[in-house]
Amino acid sequence: MRHPGLAALVLVVGLLLLADALVVNSSLAELADLVVRAAILVAAGAALAGVASLALRRGGDLWRRRGDPVGAVLVIGGMAAVLVAGLRPGGEGAADPAVGWMVAALIVPIGASLFGLLFVSTLAASRRSVAARRPEAYVLVGVAMVTLVLLLPLGGTVGAWLADAASWTLLVPIGAVLRGLLIGIALVAAVVAARTVLGIGGADE
Amino acid sequence: MSKRALLHRGAPLVLVALLAVAILLPLDDVLRLESGDETVSARWSDALDGLPEESGILVAFDADLGTYAEIRPTVRVLLADLLDRGGQLAFVSLTPEGRALAVAELGRLARADVNPRRLADFGFLPGAEAALVQLTREFPEPIDDTAFGRGIAEGGFDRVDAILVVGGNDLGPRSWVEQVAPRVDDVPILAVAPTVLLPELIPYTATGQLEALVATPRDGAAYRASVDLENGQRLVPDEGPSVAALVVGILAAVLLLAQSLAGPLLRPRGAESAR
Repeated sequence: MRHPGLAALVLVVGLLLLADALVVNSSLAELADLVVRAAILVAAGAALAGVASLALRRGGDLWRRRGDPVGAVLVIGGMAAVLVAGLRPGGEGAADPAVGWMVAALIVPIGASLFGLLFVSTLAASRRSVAARRPEAYVLVGVAMVTLVLLLPLGGTVGAWLADAASWTLLVPIGAVLRGLLIGIALVAAVVAARTVLGIGGADE
Repeated sequence: MSKRALLHRGAPLVLVALLAVAILLPLDDVLRLESGDETVSARWSDALDGLPEESGILVAFDADLGTYAEIRPTVRVLLADLLDRGGQLAFVSLTPEGRALAVAELGRLARADVNPRRLADFGFLPGAEAALVQLTREFPEPIDDTAFGRGIAEGGFDRVDAILVVGGNDLGPRSWVEQVAPRVDDVPILAVAPTVLLPELIPYTATGQLEALVATPRDGAAYRASVDLENGQRLVPDEGPSVAALVVGILAAVLLLAQSLAGPLLRPRGAESAR
């Protein structure tokens, strides 16, 4: 195995958390608590490093005059605005009214607008797929059309019939496929975990 | 400019105009957003009726910016409903986006003069699933020093009567069922989530691991219609999406998809190259 130390760490941590879930023991609980806290610190550090890396990357783009300067200025300016609003002397961090205003008045509407663009970009992508004459694209677009029709919010008998049909598609075909996928993923995860615990490597062995 | 190019350029404007007209037209009698199936709203009512008086509810606010617009009307009515029932709400977020949205909602509640002693804010906890596990062991100190918040910080989940998960794409009800439910005793989990999460959440609802779930705009509208708010009415500023605009959007998408399918299916494979 290429990283035996990593596998051993995964093995020890996994067994420790598993034992803590099964056995009531204060020493074990303290150890598990320590491990969970370490995992939280690592996750927080990784998130912070990700943000710092983005800022450095965009700052480097501006400094060296490469890439998209407008985008870089917007990213750095946006970060600076939120940081200044939250961390200025007397600021209340994320709960500061200025940060709240930026979130409610700028970030939420802009985020929702970007998500709204999915309407256009998804339709454009489906048209390109169909234009390539792929059979799976025909099926995908056909099913999407049927699903959209079933979701029409109509009243009366027609609306009730459409809603019933939508529930059936969700519970039976979509539910069956998704549960199959989830069971498959769970099995693969269990196999990979068992191979890691037993030190059985793959191609890098 | 050719007729085809004119059509291509004019179509978005026509769609915007149609949406504007649809929003203005009174079509509520013809269209119905509320789901005819009252199972979901009845399940919610049962779950909320089963809570004790002045119940302490942990609101796990982890919606995301993209999908929050879909669930926002339902979330706001639900918070108002819980406060109307005498509930106390403790907010916590495990995603940065969720925290940003939670701060905005807390600000809205404060501006509406909700009694601050009935609210607690535990802020943002980094670490995603690991933070959920840690939360079952120990709560952080609340940001605002209220008796309700201190009680939860000291007593943990023993002081929590229910968990309300406002889910998003990054961290949703599934994580709470997997990481928290096995570690705490008898705390029901209620959830509001965007439609995209519905297929993976249905099994949890069927097994009762999620006590109640709203995950479609139609079920959300049915729940909102079933709630009779008193004092909480002032906390619900918007009436939800325009149903007519939804219909226009769906029909436009169906027409465009049909048109994209019709071209290749009706034209023989070699026709374009021959032309």
